Amino acid sequence: MNHFIEVNDVVKQYDGHMALNHVSVNVPQGCIYGLLGPNGAGKTSLIRIINLITRPDSGTVMLDGHPINEGDVANIGYLPEERGLYKKMKVGEQIVYLARLKGMSKADAVREMQVWLERFDLVEWRDKKLEALSKGMQQKVQFIATVLHRPRLLIFDEPFSGFDPVNADQLKVEILRLNREGATILFSTHNMESVEAVCERISLINHSQVVLEGRVDEIRQTHKKNIISVDLPQGQALEPCERLYTQLPPAMGSKETLIRLADGVAVREAIAWLNDHYTLNGFHEVLPSMHEIFVETVKG
Amino acid sequence: MRHLFHLFALEIVMEKLKLIIAREYMSMIGRKSFIVMTILLPVLMILVIALPLLIGYLNDAGSDVEQVAVIDETGRYAAAIENNDLYSFVPMRADSVGDPRAFYDKTSGSLAAVVVIPRDVDSTAQVTVYSDKTVNVSLKSHIARALSDTITQAHIAAYGVPNLQRMIDEANVDIDVKSVKWGEDGSETESSTEIAMVIGMVLAFLTYMFVLMYGAMIMNGVIEEKTNRIVEVIVSSCKPFQLMMGKIIGVALVGLTQMAIWAVVMAGITAITGSVLGVGALVDPGTAMTQANMPDDATVDMDLVNVWNAVMSVNYGQILSCFVLYFIGGYLLYASLFAGFGSAVDQANDASQFTTPIILIMIVALYAGMACMENPSGPMAVWCSIIPFTSPIVMMVRLPYDVPFWQLALSIVLLYATAAGMIWIASRIYRTGILLYGKKTSFKEIVRWLK
Repeated sequence: MNHFIEVNDVVKQYDGHMALNHVSVNVPQGCIYGLLGPNGAGKTSLIRIINLITRPDSGTVMLDGHPINEGDVANIGYLPEERGLYKKMKVGEQIVYLARLKGMSKADAVREMQVWLERFDLVEWRDKKLEALSKGMQQKVQFIATVLHRPRLLIFDEPFSGFDPVNADQLKVEILRLNREGATILFSTHNMESVEAVCERISLINHSQVVLEGRVDEIRQTHKKNIISVDLPQGQALEPCERLYTQLPPAMGSKETLIRLADGVAVREAIAWLNDHYTLNGFHEVLPSMHEIFVETVKG
Repeated sequence: MRHLFHLFALEIVMEKLKLIIAREYMSMIGRKSFIVMTILLPVLMILVIALPLLIGYLNDAGSDVEQVAVIDETGRYAAAIENNDLYSFVPMRADSVGDPRAFYDKTSGSLAAVVVIPRDVDSTAQVTVYSDKTVNVSLKSHIARALSDTITQAHIAAYGVPNLQRMIDEANVDIDVKSVKWGEDGSETESSTEIAMVIGMVLAFLTYMFVLMYGAMIMNGVIEEKTNRIVEVIVSSCKPFQLMMGKIIGVALVGLTQMAIWAVVMAGITAITGSVLGVGALVDPGTAMTQANMPDDATVDMDLVNVWNAVMSVNYGQILSCFVLYFIGGYLLYASLFAGFGSAVDQANDASQFTTPIILIMIVALYAGMACMENPSGPMAVWCSIIPFTSPIVMMVRLPYDVPFWQLALSIVLLYATAAGMIWIASRIYRTGILLYGKKTSFKEIVRWLK
C-alpha cells in the first residue's frame, strides 16, 4: 500500500518520562485517519514530531516516500487543540501572514483567502482585529489559516471542540471536501461518534504505545461480542435458553431485546431456533461502538 | 546541485525571517503606546530639564516680598544686608527691641524672620536667624554672603595697611586648567573631556534604557505568543530560532526607528541653536580666541559659543561608531536573555524571578559607569569595560579618556562572543520553554534544558 506518512519505531522521552515508546503509524494516501487515545497518552507528542516541531529521540518519519524535512512544512497544515492567533492583528493580515510563513506567495494567499472568507461568511470581518470576533468566528479563522496553503497533509487536533452543531456540520463538510480534493487527514480526537462517521482507519495510543490499529469497520468486527438484537412483536418476551444464549439487560432508554450467544453457537443456529419458537420481526448483529472499544481497550 | 538546494533552503529561511521581522515591526509601530512614547519621552526630558528652572522662576515671581527685621547689636553691619526680590530687611536698634522672641510675637506674623547680629560677631563670625517657620536656605545664604563680604572688608580695613584690599585681590589666583591632547601626528587639540564624558554618559544611559525597555517588550511578546498559543502554529511553519531572532531583530528595528526620529528632532534643534548663536558647525578655535578679546558685553554670548565649540570638538566619529557597536552587542546579549526567560514562564507575573537578576546586573553596570567618571583608568573601570555584561555601558563613559586599543578590541570581541553564546543558550531555552505549559519553571530546570 502507498503510505503517505510512515512513522517507524519512534521513541521520544521528556525528562525521563517516556512520551512515545516505539510507536509506528502508517497513514495511507488520501485517508482520513483517527489518532485516538486518552489525555497524556502521547498523541500531541506524535503530532509535534510529524509537524517537525520536535525531533524523535530515535525512529524515522517518512512523508510521501522521503524522510520528512524542513521543506515539508509547506505540505502540512496543523490545527492545534489549543487554538491561538494574534488577538491584536487584523483577520486578513493574520491569515495571509500565516499562509506566507508556509511558503505561499502573497498574491495567492490573498486570492485564496477571499474564497474561504466568503465560504465561511466572514468577508466583512477581514479588516477587523481578531479580538472583535466571536469565539466561533475565531475558530473559523484559524481553520482557514490551517488549510489555506493547500497542504497535502492536514492535522486536526480536536477540530470540533468549541463549535456549535451547525458550525460543526459545516466544518465536517469542508473537511470531507478537502479529503476528496486529495488531502490526507490526520484526526486527533476524543469524539468517538465523529471517528465512526468520518475515519477510515485509526490508531489507538495508550501509555505511549499503539495498542490498536486498523480499519474502523474491521476493528468493530473483531471486537464484536456475539450480541444479537432481536425484534419481537409487542408483548412477547424471550424465555431463557442457556444452551444457546443468555439475555442481556436492555440498554438504557431502549426496548431492544439483546442476547449474547453462548460460546461455539453460530448465529444461524440461534436464529433458526428462535424462528421456530417465536415470531421474529427482525434481528441484527450488534457491533460495538468505537466508544466501547476505546473504553474497553484503555481500561482493559 | 546540492549547493543549489542549500541556497534555496537558505532563501526560504531568510524569507521567513523577513516575514517575522516585518510582522513584529508593523505590529509595534502601529501601537498607540509606541507613538505616545516617541512623543512623550523627549517632552519628558525637556520637562526634567526645564521644570526646575520654571519652578525657580515661578517661586521668585509669585511670592510677595517678606519683611525681615535685623537687630544689630554692633550698630555697624545692619545696612550691609541689602533688599532683594524676596526679602526686604528692616534694621532695628538692639536697645529699642529688647528680647527678640517678644518682639517677633508682637508683630503677629508680619515678619518672616528676625536676624540677630551679636555684639561679638567680629570674633565669633556667627549670626542667628529666628523664626517660627523653617528658615529658607536662600535667606540664610543671602545674609551670610552679605555679612561675610562686609565684615571681611572691615577686618582688612582694621589692619590699617593702605591698598591692602587691592593687594589681596591681585594676590588671589584662580587656576584654570586647560587640557591639551597630543595627537599621534604631533598635533595639539584642546580636548573637551567633560563634554565628551557627558555625551558618553548620556549614550550609556540610552543603552541602559533601551535595553531594559525593549528587552521587557521582547519578553512580553514571547509570553503573549505563548499564552495565546499561537506559538504552536508558528513553530509548525518555522524554526523556534527564526521566531526568536525575528522578534529580537524586529523589536530592535522598532527601537532604532524611535531613536532615528529623536535624532532627527535633535539635529533640527541643534541646527536652529547653531544658527541662533551665529556659529557654524565647525568654528576655527583661532576665531574663537580672537573673539575672546572682545568687549565686556559680549561675554555672555562668548560663554555659549565656547560651550558650543567644545560640544562640536568632540570626536563624534569614534564615539558614535563605538556606540553603535556596543549598543547592538549589548542589546543582543540582553534581549536574548529576556527572550529565553520569557519562554520559560506562563504569565508575566512569574517573570520577575528571572528579570530581577538581569535588572540588577544592568543597575550595577550603570553605577559602575558613573563611578568611572571619577577614575576612568582605575581597575574597576577597566574590568567593567571589558566584562561583556557591563561593557556596553561602562565603555561608553570611558571612551573619551583614550582607552588603549587592545582593551577596546578585547572588550568588543568578548561582547560579541558572549552575545552569540547567549543567543545559542536562549534558543535552547526558548525551543523547550514555548511548548511547555502549566509548570513553574526553576533556574535548575532551565539549566537542564541546555543539555
